[in-house]
Amino acid sequence: MDKIVGFFKNLADGFYFNFIEDDRYIWLLQGLQTTLEITIFAVILGIIIGFIVAIIRSAHDKTGKFKVLNIICRVYLTVIRGTPTMIQILFMSLVVFRAVPLNKVIVGGLSFGINSGAYVAEIVRSGIMSIDQGQTEAGRSLGLNYSQTMRLIIMPQAFKNVLPALVNEFIVLIKETSIVGYIGMMDLTKSAMLIQSRTYDATWPLVAAAAIYLALVLVLTYLMNKLERRLRTNERK
Amino acid sequence: MSVNKNQVLIEVQGLEKAFGSNQVLDGISTDICQGEVVVIIGPSGSGKSTFLRSLNLLEEPTGGKILFEGTDITDSKVDINRHRQKIGMVFQQFNLFPHKTVKENIMLAPVKLKLMTKEEASARADELLKRVGLPEKADTYPDMLSGGQKQRIAIARALAMNPDVMLFDEPTSALDPEMVGEVLELMKELANSGMTMVVVTHEMGFAKEVATRVIFIDDGKIQEENTPEEFFSNPKNPRLKDFLSKVL
Repeated sequence: MDKIVGFFKNLADGFYFNFIEDDRYIWLLQGLQTTLEITIFAVILGIIIGFIVAIIRSAHDKTGKFKVLNIICRVYLTVIRGTPTMIQILFMSLVVFRAVPLNKVIVGGLSFGINSGAYVAEIVRSGIMSIDQGQTEAGRSLGLNYSQTMRLIIMPQAFKNVLPALVNEFIVLIKETSIVGYIGMMDLTKSAMLIQSRTYDATWPLVAAAAIYLALVLVLTYLMNKLERRLRTNERK
Repeated sequence: MSVNKNQVLIEVQGLEKAFGSNQVLDGISTDICQGEVVVIIGPSGSGKSTFLRSLNLLEEPTGGKILFEGTDITDSKVDINRHRQKIGMVFQQFNLFPHKTVKENIMLAPVKLKLMTKEEASARADELLKRVGLPEKADTYPDMLSGGQKQRIAIARALAMNPDVMLFDEPTSALDPEMVGEVLELMKELANSGMTMVVVTHEMGFAKEVATRVIFIDDGKIQEENTPEEFFSNPKNPRLKDFLSKVL
């Protein structure tokens, strides 16, 4: 009995020591905020880059136009997907913006946005390619031009098809931002390590950080499942 | 609708289409006049669908000219989108937009191309839905319709643009047999109302009954064209004779 009481007392002490004493939990919250800022910045940038690249690539595949842009896109995809994210953020921070006094959140957001854009682009392109050619023909035969057909007919359907893959990409992205500590940013992971450096206890801070990542991913998955279901049921009435 | 039988709507001159070294259309010339119902038949792979799809440039010809209402639409300087608005097309696979309701399918192009206001397009859609006999399906999504219903909606969608000519690419080939009749009946009504139509089909009954002219295409060439009476009762081309003996 004493052992059990002792165990819980140790647990409570550990929690107090790691998070409450000196208000250390605030570091975690600040870290969480940084992680969210980078992620949201990167998601938005990734979607913009991804859609533009996907549209250029599929327009090139279908019409043969945009030769130069298509080559630029392919180089971008190859380099980004062929090199480690870690190297990319180090390069951004230590080479590209070395002499520029830029907010670190922007540097991190740019790095991850440019990185994510490459994956989003290929996801969206596969979505565009998955739509039957007859849909394009129907749109064009009504007199819609290429971009109207894309915007009104192909994209809404493609988006619906790739939503699960996109969500997956963003889940990966949230977790990947945990390497920004390497460019001196105090994100969720780094803040956990900061607590550890003060308390010499790694268990509590790491468990807490992991739980917060997990909660973020679960919320995102839940929201996207709901959205997906709504988009689907729409067509069945 | 006033029908001037002599006015040429589409003038096809020496039309050619090659996919690589495969010459699918090998110099097709014909005039399609206002009010005509031209039925095109031929064995599969003969080029009849390619010919039809060339008329609104879904297939880009590799030679020859297509004059639509006097304009050569094969000229790359011509705004093909503007001409396509006047050329309705109905596909074998319907190609309705699955993410839009039936009514939205019909209203989409007229509204987005700013030819009608939303209210006008809505009224037009209601009128067309009544005409194709599916007014109760306005708010349904295409996935919930039978094949025959889908094709009737596809016809309504094309008609919403008030086209000068309607192209039908094997409109009943993807349908279950019991649904072929309702689509053919609608096409017949359309023909009787004076609509100019070009129809690729295997429905010989429709050709006999509704067509004003029947064209037989094989090997990328027009082998024979005639009134349906002559065409079916007195075929001259040996390939047509052979073809008819197989399908009739």
